[in-house]
Amino acid sequence: MSFAASPPAARRSAAAAPPPRLASLRALLRRGLRDDRYVPLIWGGALGVFSFLIIFTWPSIEDSVGELVRSYPEGLKQAFGIEQLDTVEAYFDAEMLSLIVPLAVAFLAVRTVARAIPGAEEEAWLDTLLTTPLSRASLVAGAFLVTAALTALVLALTAALTLIAGLLSGTDPAAAVIGRGLANVWPLAMFFAGLATLLAGRLHSASAVTAIASGVLVAMYLIDVVGKVSDSFEPLRWASAFKYYGSAVRDGIDPVAFIGLTLAAAALAALGALLLERRDIVA
Amino acid sequence: MPVIETAVLSKYYGETRALDGVSMTVEPGEAFGFLGPNGAGKTTLIRVLTDLLHPSSGSATVFGLDTRAESAAIRARLGNLPGDYAYDPRLTGREIVSFFAELRGLSGLGRAPQLAERFEADLDRRLGELSRGNRQKIGLIQAAFHDPELLLLDEPTASLDPLMQEEFLAFVAEQRDRGVTVFFSSHELDEIERACDRVAIVREGSLVAVEDVAEVTSRSFKHVRLEFAEPVDPDEFRRIQGVSDLEQAGARITFKAAGDLDAVVKAAAAHTVSDIELTRPTLEEVVLTYYGRAGRR
Repeated sequence: MSFAASPPAARRSAAAAPPPRLASLRALLRRGLRDDRYVPLIWGGALGVFSFLIIFTWPSIEDSVGELVRSYPEGLKQAFGIEQLDTVEAYFDAEMLSLIVPLAVAFLAVRTVARAIPGAEEEAWLDTLLTTPLSRASLVAGAFLVTAALTALVLALTAALTLIAGLLSGTDPAAAVIGRGLANVWPLAMFFAGLATLLAGRLHSASAVTAIASGVLVAMYLIDVVGKVSDSFEPLRWASAFKYYGSAVRDGIDPVAFIGLTLAAAALAALGALLLERRDIVA
Repeated sequence: MPVIETAVLSKYYGETRALDGVSMTVEPGEAFGFLGPNGAGKTTLIRVLTDLLHPSSGSATVFGLDTRAESAAIRARLGNLPGDYAYDPRLTGREIVSFFAELRGLSGLGRAPQLAERFEADLDRRLGELSRGNRQKIGLIQAAFHDPELLLLDEPTASLDPLMQEEFLAFVAEQRDRGVTVFFSSHELDEIERACDRVAIVREGSLVAVEDVAEVTSRSFKHVRLEFAEPVDPDEFRRIQGVSDLEQAGARITFKAAGDLDAVVKAAAAHTVSDIELTRPTLEEVVLTYYGRAGRR
C-alpha cells in the first residue's frame, strides 16, 4: 500500500493550528474518567460500605452511645468535635466525617494528580502526550478536573450508600445533612489535589509527590486536632486546611471556607502549572 | 524558510553536556538524518524541538516558530515517534489514536486504518498485550495518522523486525517524495543512507559534520576478508587505490577498501577464492576515520 498518490502534506496542513483549549480539556476529562472508571466504585464503594455499617448499627447502639460519649475525656471530645451523639447524623459525622472520609478522599485526590502528571512522566507517557498540541497548562487543568470529578463521584456514592442504609435500618438520616457533610469534604480534598499539583510542578516522581502531599495532609490534620485541645498550638491551626473544614453536619456548610478552600486549591494548581511549564519533562 | 533551524543550541544536565552549540538547518521536504552513537545527543535534540526540554542556551525554531514560545503551534504540525514508544498499556491502539485525534482537534482516525494494514498492526489489542515491536508500530501510526508536515523519528526501527524495517524505510521515502520533511535520528549508517538526503553527524553533543548522504557513503569503506586456496602475494592488493590496513595470515588477507571494489574483485579473481566477506564499518569507525577523534575533519 502506498500513500504516494495523496497530495503533499505540506500544502494540506499548512494552516494546522492547535485545537481550542476547551476541546483539549474535554478530551482529557473524558479520557481520564474512562480510564479511572472503577475508582469511584472502589473508593466510593469501600467508604459507602463502611458508612452503611455505621448507619445500620446505629439503632442497636443508640442507647449506650450517649453514655459512652459522656465518659469520654473533655479533650478528646473537643479534638474530634464530638458534642452529643444523640442523632444518627451526629454519629455519622463523628465516625466518618471527622477522620476517615476526609483523609481517604484527600489521599485519593493526591494519588490521582500524582499518577496523571509525574507518574505519566516516569512512564514516558508525557513524551507522547506532550508532542501533540496539548499545552502543559491544559494537562494540569485536565488532571485537576478529573480529580474534582472522581472525588465528587466517590462522595456521591458514599452518600447514596449511607442513605440506603438509613432506609433499610429505619434510622432515616436527613439526606440534606448527610449530603452537606460529605459535600464539605470535596474542597478539602481538592486543596490537597492542588498541593499535589504544585509539587508535580517541581518533582519528577509520583512517589515523592504522593509522600510529601500525604505527609502534609496528616500533619495538617494533627495540627488541627492538637490545636483544638492545646491553647499553645491553637494559633497554628490557621495553617491547617482542616481548620476551615469544620463540621458541616453540625453547623452547615460555611460558604466562605468552602469557596476559600476551593480557590486555594485552584491557586495551588495554577502555580503548579506555571512551574511545570518552566521545567524539563524527563522520561 | 528552513523547517528546522538551530542556532548555537546547547543543553546541559548539571555538568553533563548533552548538546553543545549545535547549529544546523533542515529544509522543507528533505529527509534529514541525524547520525550518532548512543548518548550523542540525538534524543535530546528532538526533545528540545518538541519543547519537552528547554535549551540551556541558543535557540531552535521549527516552521520559523520558536520552540519555547510557540510550541503548541509547532506540535500541531508534526508527528513524533520516540525510540521506545510508551503509553497507557490499558488502551488499545484505536483508543490511543482516537484520543490523540481529539487532542489535535480532528474527527475520525485519519489514515490510521491504512497505516495499520500496511504495518500489520493490531489496533484492537491493548498496548500492554503487544510486543515491543508491535507497540512501536502503534507509535508510528500515532505519529503519522494525521499526515503531519514534519515527522520526527527517533531511532524508529530499533525494535522492528527486518521486514518491517524495510517497509518503514519505504514509507519514509514515500513521505519525503510527497513533500513531508523527515528528521530521522539513528545510529545505523546503513539506515540513514537508505532513507535520507543529508546527514548530520553528532558525537558527544557536538555536530561533527553536515553532508550529503551520497558524499558520506562514497567516502565510506568496507572491511574485506578474502580466503584463497593457497597464500597469495599481498602486494597485489596493497597496490590497489583505496586499500589500506592490509594484513595477511596464511591464505587469508584482510584489508579496508574505500570506493569502487572493481579492482579488488579483479585482483582476487586471478586466484582461486574459497571465501569472501564484506562488512560495513561501524558508525564509530566511520566517524573516527573521516572526522577524527577530536570531532571535526
